[in-house]
Amino acid sequence: MALAGIPPAVTEETAPFWEAAREGRLVVERCRACGAEAFPPAGICRACRSRETEHAEVAGPGVVYSFTVNHHRWLPDLEVPFALVWVDFPDHPGVRVVGRVRGCEPDGVRIGMAVDVGFEEGPNGFAVPSFVARPEDVLVGETGLQSPESTTRTGEGA
Amino acid sequence: MSERFEERAVLSGVGQSAIGRQIDRSAFQLTLDAVLGAVADAGLTVDDIDGIATFPGGGKANLPGYASPGIYEVQDALGIGTTWRLGMNEGFCLPFHGAVQAVASGVARHVVVYRTVKEGSAARSAGGRPAYGSTRPEAEGPMQWLLPIGALSPVCHVAPYATRYLHEFGATRQQLGWIPVTQRAHAGRNPDAVYRDPLSLDDYLASRMISTPICLFDCDVPIDGATAFVVSAADTARDLRAPVGIEAMAGVCEDRPSWEQWRDMTRVGHGTAAAMWARTDLGPADVDVAQLYDGFTIEVIWWLEALGFCGVGEGAAFVDGGTRIDLGGELPMNTWGGQLSGGRLHAGFGHTAEAMRQLRGEAEGRQVDGAEVAVVTNAGGFESGAAVLTAWRG
Repeated sequence: MALAGIPPAVTEETAPFWEAAREGRLVVERCRACGAEAFPPAGICRACRSRETEHAEVAGPGVVYSFTVNHHRWLPDLEVPFALVWVDFPDHPGVRVVGRVRGCEPDGVRIGMAVDVGFEEGPNGFAVPSFVARPEDVLVGETGLQSPESTTRTGEGA
Repeated sequence: MSERFEERAVLSGVGQSAIGRQIDRSAFQLTLDAVLGAVADAGLTVDDIDGIATFPGGGKANLPGYASPGIYEVQDALGIGTTWRLGMNEGFCLPFHGAVQAVASGVARHVVVYRTVKEGSAARSAGGRPAYGSTRPEAEGPMQWLLPIGALSPVCHVAPYATRYLHEFGATRQQLGWIPVTQRAHAGRNPDAVYRDPLSLDDYLASRMISTPICLFDCDVPIDGATAFVVSAADTARDLRAPVGIEAMAGVCEDRPSWEQWRDMTRVGHGTAAAMWARTDLGPADVDVAQLYDGFTIEVIWWLEALGFCGVGEGAAFVDGGTRIDLGGELPMNTWGGQLSGGRLHAGFGHTAEAMRQLRGEAEGRQVDGAEVAVVTNAGGFESGAAVLTAWRG
């Protein structure tokens, strides 16, 4: 079932992101001049202001910088609780993407937890970021993780 | 200090409409109540007003009850001409920031600034606090990265800051709980506050979770109400009833202008606070009363640390037990109840109104003895603003 939410208003700058998302790929903007990567896409490099940008795929894994478990039903068909994760990519400085997370219980999400790139069907048929937890892989020391046996892996991507 | 442009302006008037969970008057009528009240409070007449500003301007808000009535309608209803106007949706930092610059530069003499919310009625109509996208179900600009995944409220956008803060510094929700508990006690002394019954730490810990670690009592209260100020040229002070001095102000954004792209979610407002303190010889130790923005409790922690009332990572310990931020404490804070109990007047309007009352000695029932220096802040992150206001010495 599609996730409830408000659909994006797609623009010239963001259309490549949403199109790649339908294919299960996470793309960010990369500067052809200096190589800097950035999100969200803007058609200009934030580092050197070159207008020569391209879309580059980020394969992951990412690391959970922070998270929240949302309990409030903001929309009538919004299923709660669910976790949202703010994901940084160690190999892609400057790139942070926010998304849902699957592969562990909402309360099992931890800062420093590794996640794989993935997408789920969201509002109006858009594929929205939905990372896949790898709770056995903690890139920053943390306590209180679920044991791997208690998690339910739901597979890669969308 | 060399001459500061802030010296050429004063806060001359404050007015507020009825404030409550639901006020059965239009936003426009509430606005007029506040504006006329502020003008009278300044000792001026409407004909003295030559500038007008609000936040946010009419139009673009995508939260029901959030936008103020537009300045064209308010100006027209007041029957005044203007030399300066500002109705802004973005880049806002403090209620009086633009108006002070307009007055200091001589473009205007007496500017009225207002902010009106009907979010209490909107929440009632929606059967709960509405989501972003309730007004226009399409996520534009930065919101397109948040609303499609279910990050549908400011609560969800600020929650990861609190998660990261608790994680890095080992702070606890019990410590944060002393902010709403202490502020509720202050609200009990403010007849205009919307929640005045005592709140215990147990009540706080038992309240329902909205988006971890933010529970119900970490959130401000959507209300109906309007606040207005008059900002006047300092050389008119003799004509004014009770002016308040503007010692220093700043609205600096030193990181990416985005909630989710802010690099270090444990340090917010530090650039703004540093820029503000650089404009005055006063410092944190000189502050008698603090009105720190409290849309969520974690925002209070940001400001306590950014302004230097305590060190980074020490904010939760600073509020623990409530004694430091109580009316008799070393830093009486949000003495009107803040937005958590006084109501979400928003954008620093409620905080500035209380700072003016304290500095004038007019905060009946909750007056901080000898309050001569007040600090006021707004929001945090890319909407940060901070100011020091002072009792008028002429």
